Amino acid sequence: MILFEPFHLPFMARALVELLVLGALAGTVGVLVLLRRLAFVSDTLTHTVFPGVVIGHLMAGNGGIFWGALAAGVVTAVLLTLLTQRRRVNEDAALAMLLTTLFAVGVVLVSRQTGFTSDLTAFLFGRVLTVTEAQLAQTAVVTVVVVALLAVLRRPLLLRAFDPEGAQAAGVRVGLLDLVLNVAVALVVVAAVKAVGTVLVIALLIVPAAAARRLSDRLAVIVPLACVVGAAAGWLGLVVSYEASVGHGVRLASGATVVLVLVTMYVLAHVAGFVRRKAGLSRARRRSVLEAA
Amino acid sequence: MSEHAPTLVLDRASVAYGDVPVLEELHGVVHEGEAVALIGPNGAGKSTFIKALLGLVPVVRGRIEVLGRPPAQARRDVAYVPQADTLDPDFPVSVEQVVMMGRYRRIGWLRRPSAADRAEVADALEQVGLAGRARDRFGTLSGGQRQRVLLARAIAAKPRMLLLDEPFNGVDAVSQHALLEAIGALKAQGASVVVSTHDLAIAHLACDEVCLLNRHQFGFGPTGDVLTPERLRATYGGHALELRGDRVIVTQT
Repeated sequence: MILFEPFHLPFMARALVELLVLGALAGTVGVLVLLRRLAFVSDTLTHTVFPGVVIGHLMAGNGGIFWGALAAGVVTAVLLTLLTQRRRVNEDAALAMLLTTLFAVGVVLVSRQTGFTSDLTAFLFGRVLTVTEAQLAQTAVVTVVVVALLAVLRRPLLLRAFDPEGAQAAGVRVGLLDLVLNVAVALVVVAAVKAVGTVLVIALLIVPAAAARRLSDRLAVIVPLACVVGAAAGWLGLVVSYEASVGHGVRLASGATVVLVLVTMYVLAHVAGFVRRKAGLSRARRRSVLEAA
Repeated sequence: MSEHAPTLVLDRASVAYGDVPVLEELHGVVHEGEAVALIGPNGAGKSTFIKALLGLVPVVRGRIEVLGRPPAQARRDVAYVPQADTLDPDFPVSVEQVVMMGRYRRIGWLRRPSAADRAEVADALEQVGLAGRARDRFGTLSGGQRQRVLLARAIAAKPRMLLLDEPFNGVDAVSQHALLEAIGALKAQGASVVVSTHDLAIAHLACDEVCLLNRHQFGFGPTGDVLTPERLRATYGGHALELRGDRVIVTQT
């Protein structure tokens, strides 16, 4: 069957596992990003991880990418947390400056390399088909750590997202909690660099959570649904890009295909959500008419 | 005046954000089971007053004691009720989940809510008259009902002091009545209540004491003694008009 056949190839199987795990990880973290309205902060993180990727690659080759990304991710997560705690700074402008500056540093560094465009494409858009078992292990470890951390902190995270002042009043250390979430986002970016690159990872974070939110009002449903949407988009994206390349001779970049599948799923979720709300409204109307009668 | 123990002591206290003093010369005492209304124009520092009682704004001069402790150390026994309209109505939480947040401190990070926690949540919703709405999404309720849910969250925390920031703003009559009833019940159980409001009638109705504020304190004491035309005019800077001798209307808040 077309949905399973490509994954008899070992490199396709590795790519599938990588995207399934990443989809679940990004889905979980993405729900919090959505609730906290941190899309722009997350986008900044994706761009600031980029110079770390380049420096890691320059210093230690492919094996250095993860550690370079990790260092850059954690440092910028701390910087962003400090920046967003100070209300007086114009936050958007500051983030935009940080984002472009560090991104430019990355481009300058990578442009000094021979094979510049090939490296640049790999860092920006990922090469999921060349994922190694070591990278799979890194992704798995990051996933376990991040999901465990968020599961333990789920109550203060929820309270802080819903009612920041109430959280402070209840003695929640809001600054520390914000740092944890920013580091979690950075870790998702780091884990996803190899598979989808630093630019496309933002879609993996935002779209599954947004799609799941269209379909449910309950967090207990939204979180697992976002994981499923993220993982399913990874799977389908791989199948589509494989079929197009092998079956029809059309070369589709797998990372970008995954993102397009995600967006398609969001559109479907949006339509389904619209129908659901309509149905809910007319049910409520019927009930109130019955009650009135 | 009262045989009950003092729960809030303000001793010539000033609070400040950084170098900028926001409130000065706060002085007064609140006892168990008493309610005090914070009255003053917008920007007078009512919210800052409440934040100071939570230890979120530093005291730079004098002393504030909440339940016999410095404010930041009393948070465990203090519940804060924010204005409902500051919260995102699209947030995917149910009414029950919001009220359960009041139990988080007791539940901790990992334990599942116990039957006792669920009973407290149900009780608290009952007290604000929203028992039937537990499973509804918070944002689908009216503004007044959302305010009642937030009060239920505070009730579920079993506080010894309750702080409410403008809970009656834009609230319909039914919800206002339900809020006043629930606040009355908390007082009867010995909790102290601090409530900021624009509504002088509510201060008369629900509160034993009034604190008049506009950057500094214009009066603190029994409602009848403090809510005088002269003091209100002083607090509101001439925007209060006198009607028929003893009534005051505030024309600009």
